[in-house]
Amino acid sequence: MRPLMAELSSSLNVFLATAAALVAIGVYGFIVGPEPLRRIVALNIISAGIFKLMVVLAYRGSGNGDAEWLADPVLHALVLTGLVVAVSATAFALALLARLGQSMTAGQEDPGQ
Amino acid sequence: MMILLLVLPLAGALLMLLWPRIAPLLALFSAAACSLIALQLLLQVSEQGTGYWLLAGWPSGLAIAWQADTLSCLLILLTAVLQLLVGFYAFAIRTRDKLSQGFWPLSSLLQLSLTALWLSRDLFNLYVCLELLALVAVALVSLSGRKAIKPALNYLLLSLFGSLCYLLGVVLLYGAYGRLDIAGLASEWQPNLLTNSALLLMSLGLMLKAALWPLHGWLPAAHAAAPAPVSALLSALVVKGPLFILCLLWLQLASSQQAQAMAPLFAGAGLAALLFGGWSALRTPFAKNLVAYSTVAQLGYATVALGLMLKFDQPLIFAALWLFVLAHALAKAACFLAIGEMSGTLGGKRLTTLKGASQTMPLAMFAFAVAGGSLIGLPPSGGFLAKWALLQGLWSQDQQLFWPLALVLATLLSAAYVFRVVVLAFDRADPVAPDFSPQVLPQWLALLPALAVWAMALFSEPLLLLLRLEAL
Repeated sequence: MRPLMAELSSSLNVFLATAAALVAIGVYGFIVGPEPLRRIVALNIISAGIFKLMVVLAYRGSGNGDAEWLADPVLHALVLTGLVVAVSATAFALALLARLGQSMTAGQEDPGQ
Repeated sequence: MMILLLVLPLAGALLMLLWPRIAPLLALFSAAACSLIALQLLLQVSEQGTGYWLLAGWPSGLAIAWQADTLSCLLILLTAVLQLLVGFYAFAIRTRDKLSQGFWPLSSLLQLSLTALWLSRDLFNLYVCLELLALVAVALVSLSGRKAIKPALNYLLLSLFGSLCYLLGVVLLYGAYGRLDIAGLASEWQPNLLTNSALLLMSLGLMLKAALWPLHGWLPAAHAAAPAPVSALLSALVVKGPLFILCLLWLQLASSQQAQAMAPLFAGAGLAALLFGGWSALRTPFAKNLVAYSTVAQLGYATVALGLMLKFDQPLIFAALWLFVLAHALAKAACFLAIGEMSGTLGGKRLTTLKGASQTMPLAMFAFAVAGGSLIGLPPSGGFLAKWALLQGLWSQDQQLFWPLALVLATLLSAAYVFRVVVLAFDRADPVAPDFSPQVLPQWLALLPALAVWAMALFSEPLLLLLRLEAL
């Protein structure tokens, strides 16, 4: 079994605190902001916070005997997958937002609709 | 064998993008083949027992764990069969309703992500499946053009927020235990502050995605805005994915203290969904919104069953939970297809356009009424079977009067909203004239799942037996 969270070196607490702060800022922005663009940015801030937490956790090492000093490769793989998902979801959300903007301007130009 | 269930829809979707001309044929072919393979997998699993795979031959703890038990196989079969049926419906109406070409590859991808979700037993893999499912579902909603963009964007944003809550919970669990497969986590599970908060975060995200009360706000707008075949798929299948993960978390991971603490919350949320969803379905002036609110209400039954299962730990209640899901999937597909057919032909989204529909479109109306019978829980339909299993599970615990009474009230509410439509349809004094002569084939296709849900009663004994075994 790998080391528990409590065994994380205390010098990393600063990074953990920033990760938590990023998530908190993102959640606040998501709940408060009514504009879709603001919410998309807020979602990206939350995911940045979560990825940061993953990278900091990976710093504990994979804990398998003599390879203790290696960063945990599983978490790195997870962060990469998460980044791919986050980028494609953001792109899709932005595309939908652009489509929404187009349809709104088209609706204004054409009062018959 | 099992890998074909994933390769066929994926390869099919890519080929459909390359040759849009033969896309419908490819989609129907892949759905038909997957139905057969899923049926064979179900038979094989029920004979030889649960299959368990560690992907790519990695050791346990590192590999992605997949498991095919009878429940997973049943859900895979349901997904493939509904996909085939909705595919036929979409093929029958594609020129009339100007269905976008994008429907075919997207629906194949939907099938792929759901199949992977039913099989996966790895928390991060489940996250990827959820995200894929949400992206495909939103893209399907946005197919119906300009008016659907706003609900689609709203759906996407809330769903992404839900996924991130879930992901944060997964990361916390990995930080504590260093593994992601559910079986391994369950063996090392300790109830403490960290697992509490991880479970709550994941449940919050999943409840948002499964549209469980009080996080259901996005569902009626999104499901009502989508084209009819898409709404059928979304209501019947997509919201069940997060529900499945929720059950995995609370029934396999959580300790009995944690489960006991959460049980009243789930049961209460389910009851509120039944009452408020039913009430909103009674009040809404639009036909599709009525069916969408009914989805919110019917998901309440599943949530109540989950809460009671956590409280009493009765295999029969677990069976009731999945019977609700199966019966609701079939009945809701029939409802959405029938309502879509009627509003398409009679030319209007309001409920009042269905006036006299029993005369102008008897088949579609019959499909809606038959499916509605299962939503109410009239015997001998699938809905009745599920409710009966739930009540039987409750009766075997003593001193239970509150829940049977609550279920009776919920049943009355669902009867009220189903009869709201049926009464309008039998008002034959001045029927709304169809814009064009009604097509027969799509109406029959809407009737098929409605008949299937009544046929569930014929297979009630093997179904109950299969599902009860899974609860252990």
